[in-house]
Amino acid sequence: MTSLWRKARVLFITRFAEMTEYRAEVVIWMLSGTLSLVMMLVWMSQAAAAPGGEIRGYNPSEFATYFLSTWAVGQLMVVWVAWELDMEIRQGTLSPKLLRPMDPMWLHYAAHFAERVVRFPALLALVALFAWVAGARFSTDPAAYLAAFGLALLGFSARFLWEYTIGLLAFWTESSTSFQEVVWLVYAALGGMFAPLAFYPEWVQRVAVWTPFPYMLGLPAQLLAGKATLADAGRGALVLLFWLVAFWVLRLTVWRVGLRKYGAVGA
Amino acid sequence: MTRYLRLIRLFTGATLAAQLEYRANFLGAILASLAESGVALLGIAVLFGQPGTTEVGGWSFHQALLVVGLFTLTEGFISVFIQPNMSKIAEAVRTGSMDFTLLKPIDAQFNISTRNLNVLRVTDLLIGAGLTIYAASHLSVTPGGVLAAALLYVCALVIVYCIWLALSTTAFWFVKTQNASELFNGVFGAARFPVTAFPVPVRAFLTFVVPVAFITTVPAQALTGSLSPGLVVASPLVAAALFTLTRLFWLRAVGSYTSASS
Repeated sequence: MTSLWRKARVLFITRFAEMTEYRAEVVIWMLSGTLSLVMMLVWMSQAAAAPGGEIRGYNPSEFATYFLSTWAVGQLMVVWVAWELDMEIRQGTLSPKLLRPMDPMWLHYAAHFAERVVRFPALLALVALFAWVAGARFSTDPAAYLAAFGLALLGFSARFLWEYTIGLLAFWTESSTSFQEVVWLVYAALGGMFAPLAFYPEWVQRVAVWTPFPYMLGLPAQLLAGKATLADAGRGALVLLFWLVAFWVLRLTVWRVGLRKYGAVGA
Repeated sequence: MTRYLRLIRLFTGATLAAQLEYRANFLGAILASLAESGVALLGIAVLFGQPGTTEVGGWSFHQALLVVGLFTLTEGFISVFIQPNMSKIAEAVRTGSMDFTLLKPIDAQFNISTRNLNVLRVTDLLIGAGLTIYAASHLSVTPGGVLAAALLYVCALVIVYCIWLALSTTAFWFVKTQNASELFNGVFGAARFPVTAFPVPVRAFLTFVVPVAFITTVPAQALTGSLSPGLVVASPLVAAALFTLTRLFWLRAVGSYTSASS
């Protein structure tokens, strides 16, 4: 156990040192993910122009709160592992990593986790600034923040695993990163990046509740906005845990099959 | 002039031959194009899907769809013609291979802007053109409107090219430029919607600071016949000014270039 803890600590510390080198880039990456912010501005001005000043019970300030929350949660959800795997597999730099007595996945996981720690202070500052400009008001319940944070952690891990699986497709195809774009679209749509899920047609909502997406993006955002209960968070966590296990098994299977194929190429 | 046209034909042939070797990538490119236009379409579909919503920022559904079509077309233009070239500038400056470009007896800006193509993303252009034509067929469009829109859209493409070139030219001083273009992509994402769909201060930002409004909204307005005369003149002026400025900026950058080793 202590050796496992030591491994984890060393992994985190080295990746953290690496990620602080990119601190200026981290802010630029944060600002270039603008879909939530664009949707926020459009919905706010739609609500302001609507009769009664609201759409489906959301006034401009509530739209600001919801979309800023999805933006913040989305920032914690950023995963780029598919690009790295794609490159490592194609260029063969994966090989030396296979010699280590540890699944290379943990190197990537630690890097993403450390980047989140670098990102967090800048994220808080930007959210505070945007909230002040747009007039957003967040929940005052500390439990909501804890629950949202827990969901975000589960959601990030689930997303990490499915992106990792997509990245592993590079063992077979050259266009694994374009699968990633398609999956991102589904994640953004069903997660609620275009609008709160209640705004979608009913059949879409009925499909969405079975997927992990609404619980990793929309639900934490609703918790921060004070529009979801802790019971919702509990149910969402259960669904996410189920998907986490499913993605874990999928990732492991694809990794084992792919590795056999990779060895065959090298030999 | 004919020399430059012949060069464009040569460059196109060479880059086509290189890209078509990877036929399997076509499927991936189509998937990526579909996903990108999916993002733009979903954005307006959810907005118009709300009960009682008949317009966004004063634009009807088909008018807004016109903007989505032009946006997708412009994204295609960027990924087919602009990005494959501009992303190589930084690398050429870093490795010193810019020397060879500057030594050639043709204009260096022309060379770096036309040498490469990403033919795989032609699907973006097709989807964009299809959406634009579909949306226009549901609106009353005059021949004069089409002509004005086409001219203004050419100005739009010049504006896009100039912004990318200016950002990439900073590579002569900074090692990395990828982040600057990433940031532009973020702002450009706002061009999926007519500029009037945004709150007034943001509208001003998208018109005067980063001229995103001229790229999709203004040509769409010309097509629907709702364009104010001021903007008809403003768009070519902005394009001409940007072109002159980026040309001067490029010449200055090349003048200060000292190769990789010195």
